[in-house]
Amino acid sequence: MDLGILSLILVAVLFICLALGLWVGFALTAVGLAAMVLATSAPVGAVFATKVWGALNIWDLTALPMFIWMGEILFRSRLSSDMFRGLAPFTRRLPGGLLHVNILGCALFAAVSGSSAATTATVGRMSLPELRSRGYDDRMSIGTLAGSGTFGFLIPPSIILIVYGAATEQSIARLFLAGVLPGLMLAVMFSGYTMIWATLNKHRMPPQEPPAPLREKLRGALLLLPTLALIVCVIGSIYAGLASPTEAAVVGVVGALAISLASNGLTRAGLWDSVRGAAMTTCMIAFILAGAAFLTGAMGYTGIPRSLAAWIGEQQFSPYALLAALLLFFIVLGFFLDGISIVVLTTSVILPMVLAAGIDPIWFGIFLVLVVEMSQITPPVGFNLFVLQSITGRDIFSIARYALPFFLILVLATVMLTVFPQIALWLPSTMMAR
Amino acid sequence: MRKALDGLYGAALIASVMAMVTIAGLVLFQVAGRIIDRVLGWFGADALGLSVPSLAEIGGFLFVASAFLALPATLRAAGHVRVTMLARALPPTGARALTLLVVAAATALGLFAAWHSWLQTLDSWQFNSVSFGMIRIPLWLPQGGMTLGLVIFAVALTDELVAALRGRDPAFIAAEASKSIDAMEGH
Repeated sequence: MDLGILSLILVAVLFICLALGLWVGFALTAVGLAAMVLATSAPVGAVFATKVWGALNIWDLTALPMFIWMGEILFRSRLSSDMFRGLAPFTRRLPGGLLHVNILGCALFAAVSGSSAATTATVGRMSLPELRSRGYDDRMSIGTLAGSGTFGFLIPPSIILIVYGAATEQSIARLFLAGVLPGLMLAVMFSGYTMIWATLNKHRMPPQEPPAPLREKLRGALLLLPTLALIVCVIGSIYAGLASPTEAAVVGVVGALAISLASNGLTRAGLWDSVRGAAMTTCMIAFILAGAAFLTGAMGYTGIPRSLAAWIGEQQFSPYALLAALLLFFIVLGFFLDGISIVVLTTSVILPMVLAAGIDPIWFGIFLVLVVEMSQITPPVGFNLFVLQSITGRDIFSIARYALPFFLILVLATVMLTVFPQIALWLPSTMMAR
Repeated sequence: MRKALDGLYGAALIASVMAMVTIAGLVLFQVAGRIIDRVLGWFGADALGLSVPSLAEIGGFLFVASAFLALPATLRAAGHVRVTMLARALPPTGARALTLLVVAAATALGLFAAWHSWLQTLDSWQFNSVSFGMIRIPLWLPQGGMTLGLVIFAVALTDELVAALRGRDPAFIAAEASKSIDAMEGH
């Protein structure tokens, strides 16, 4: 069969399955089945079993449940209230005031959690009611939170980067480090925008509070100390080459348990909920990975990714043109799909083409995360929007409108990352060689 | 019958959690062993060399078992991702017909997955395939964990299909309606 027609059929099958509401893992399996039945005579079932087994039976993936568990424990601890009380004394005098708690709080929690929606939920549960009671503009409170919540995927640990690393056989440690500087850069950009907005819209800001006394600042710093120590242990040990991501994650689980126990924030029921939640989230991701593994194998039989890559190679496109086209494509895809599904679809079909264009796979992982972050805050399917909807009771389209400036900043950050790839690649290059 | 099925899904989830906690335990033991050796080294003592042989392989096996055994419980808790836009836009009768179609397709795919995973396990058993590491683990064991998870998943999907055919709401539909932000980890 002609590859062009086959590709069209497969894209149609994918979109019909997804639109009908078939689970993503099964939708990917169905596309793989269609591809193999139409294009090959290879034994479909045997390929399915070997590909799924081979792609999931991987040591690197054990980092996934461990980091998710760590996040689940901290999500149930008193961290979110501690974070607000700890950060507030420091940001009071800045233009934009406590709105910066959203940004800094998300950056901090993102460094112990690999999930954007969990980051949004943890910070938002505490900060949104507090900001409202102090007279902050609701639209800006929700917008900063929706934007900053997306740090969860960029600042290590990151579930998306583990999935990408396992699917593309890249070093997860390097991917993690590559996310650090872009994450900090985004935090600075969000904070900068908030300051400018607050200066221009003084009438929509509450009156400035007096500076916090030193004692309050010290008490705040003390509340943040355990979290900071945990971040240094987990990310630091990966950077220094002392621990693999899984080992660092397990140390993180122990640390998270210790912090929760010390602050009396963990009950027996909470502990069970955390392991149960971690097992189910891991399962949800693994199901999508299983479908994607079979799809990748099936696509290999059809030869579509190979010929796409060859075609791109012949066209001599500039990488910028290719990335611009991909960015647009991903933003559209992000309206309808969640982040992990976008990543696995990319690694199944698009990655050979990207590599053929001479693009660094580690850098591309960070590019992909930025795109996935955008998908988190674009309606109608965006998980940060869902979280904020359930916290605030507003509909997702209004929330998406409040988040629009931050969406545009994400696009700008992606452009900067493309022009200056060293923002991502410098830190992993300084990592101690192993 | 209802009780027995719920017990089956619950037991599979507990097994999944145990596999996950075992990974944490083994890795922690390995890390502790390395720290002890380093401390002993500072005092000039000999390293004990405490470590878990073939940890990388065993970890991968346990990950597969943990991931697949949680499939049924995650399904019923609406933990798996799907696009619900069309279902929400349709009137109730249309949405019900759509659910039936989706669950029927999923059950067929679930049976396909379980059957071929079983055949793979059987193959490994017949040819005595073992893993490559220091400890030679027969591959049918971890592959059996994957098969078990997929078989119970197929049972859970059939269970949902029967509910939909009888005109009741499947468990995942009810769970989707009451989903809270506590279940947003991973996105």
